[in-house]
Amino acid sequence: MTIAKYIKLYFKLVSAGIRAQLQYRFAFVMRIIGMITAYTGTAVTMWVMLYQFQTLGDWNFFEMLFLFALSILSWGFCIILFFHFRSLDTYILNGTFDRFLVRPLNPFFHFMAMKFDIASFGQFLFSIVVFVIVSFQLQLEWTLGKLLFLLGAIVGGVLIQGGLLVIISAFAFWTTKSEQFYWVAMFPARNLTYYPLAIYPKFIQWITAFVIPFGFVNYFPTTVILNKETPYFPDYMGYFSPLVGVLFFGLAYFIWMLGLSRYKSTGS
Amino acid sequence: MNMLEYEIVLKIKIIYGVQGMSSWSMYWTFTKKAFLRSSVYRFEVWSRTGSNIIFLLMWGSIWTALYAGRDEAGGVTFTAMLTYIVVSQFLDGVNEAGTPLWEIQEKVRTGDISLELMRPFDVPLRYLFADFGSVAFYMITALLPLYLVIFYFLDLALPTNWLTWVYFIISACIGFLIRYCVEMTFGLLTFFLVETGGIEDIFYFAMSLLSGSVIPLWFFPSWLETIAVYLPFQAIFFMPISIFIGETTGGEVFTSLGLQLFWLFVCYLVLRMVWNRASHKVVVQGG
Repeated sequence: MTIAKYIKLYFKLVSAGIRAQLQYRFAFVMRIIGMITAYTGTAVTMWVMLYQFQTLGDWNFFEMLFLFALSILSWGFCIILFFHFRSLDTYILNGTFDRFLVRPLNPFFHFMAMKFDIASFGQFLFSIVVFVIVSFQLQLEWTLGKLLFLLGAIVGGVLIQGGLLVIISAFAFWTTKSEQFYWVAMFPARNLTYYPLAIYPKFIQWITAFVIPFGFVNYFPTTVILNKETPYFPDYMGYFSPLVGVLFFGLAYFIWMLGLSRYKSTGS
Repeated sequence: MNMLEYEIVLKIKIIYGVQGMSSWSMYWTFTKKAFLRSSVYRFEVWSRTGSNIIFLLMWGSIWTALYAGRDEAGGVTFTAMLTYIVVSQFLDGVNEAGTPLWEIQEKVRTGDISLELMRPFDVPLRYLFADFGSVAFYMITALLPLYLVIFYFLDLALPTNWLTWVYFIISACIGFLIRYCVEMTFGLLTFFLVETGGIEDIFYFAMSLLSGSVIPLWFFPSWLETIAVYLPFQAIFFMPISIFIGETTGGEVFTSLGLQLFWLFVCYLVLRMVWNRASHKVVVQGG
């Protein structure tokens, strides 16, 4: 099949998914409200934290909000495209994963297109409102170049976080566990990146730059946009976000396919 | 379900109650079972410990950066503040070993909890005693060893008076019970709501901020501190930890413990009320 056909098919599957979700409109609205509440809660916590102290490292409240919102924005896209990868273990254990293998489609693509979670509307709403507020407060001037840079950072962020979700799901091929890895590793790691990485010990900063490249999701791009200093790292790190994203996602895809090749159905 | 059926259920309960084991040993069985069950799901224990360490690292780093080399801020020394965060993460680990909110919600949704209404025990008590078992296992195998090491290697302010230790343990236990009542009440609200999306987020927000688990109340803006003081959440983290690091001393300790008991009483009453309404609703709808 050609790529164009895959794209067409993706939108077909996705529109079916959206229609299915809109059947439960109340649940849909409540989920969005819930997410916005949760993120606002984190933002309020940051505000209370800085009420007495004014700055964390050399970051003030609005700079931290920007950092946080960038993470949430790319996470929103990630939820749409990849969030269901974390529960691959359930599919394998129930034997429902096998249906992705018997169709004339790339199983990775098929599994990816299976779900399209539009409740991430909450993430978009939250992060865009925050971007507007912060832009006014910090008097950011959005040039075309900066907007393109932001777009690149978002693409990079989606690919990096999506890549990690894909790697986590691939664990299920070997261990029949994946969801739990998400809650152990990725959820706390994402929480770490809500705050400037500069405050963490050096080895954590190294891991987030070169091992699990979460630093490229929001921290390095934000330091470029807001002209912040990055101790231990050169200032231009943020420009590599899209490249790191592509490479990391490529690696994730490779690991997933490797796992798939040695997958044996549980026979349930 | 009509009145007759209702009476039958009631009778079954009475008969079971009479023939069953004496109630405390029955609840004790739930504790033992939960303890053994946790030992089977050892991976879960490891994973929870892993994320506990990451969050400890996060909050430790945040407070180190906030103090920025100062020895004290707002009348609280850096050592005391670091101790505060470490103890808070320890208590967080203890509290998170219990039945989490989403599991209660799931049990309500699937109807599991309604089935338990038929059985000869009190459901909220049964979950509490099961929680004792999983908490005990988690503490012995992970939390206590981990935090002993942390206390040994970090330069923290430990209570020098053994009485402070006793007060802290009592206070932390009351805090645990309050958290249990509040979390169970929030979980039981699932009985009355079609969709619980916002509920759990409100609960987690209150649990993390208003309880003082990540920021002590004395750093709050005064209006927010006033709100927090009049809510039960501060009795879960802020009060026991304040005793531990010596911010609450002397007679204040007893005021603090008294207030905690008051909140425990109120929260227990609310839990009972919600539970009665919820179980009544099940009877009326026939599950």
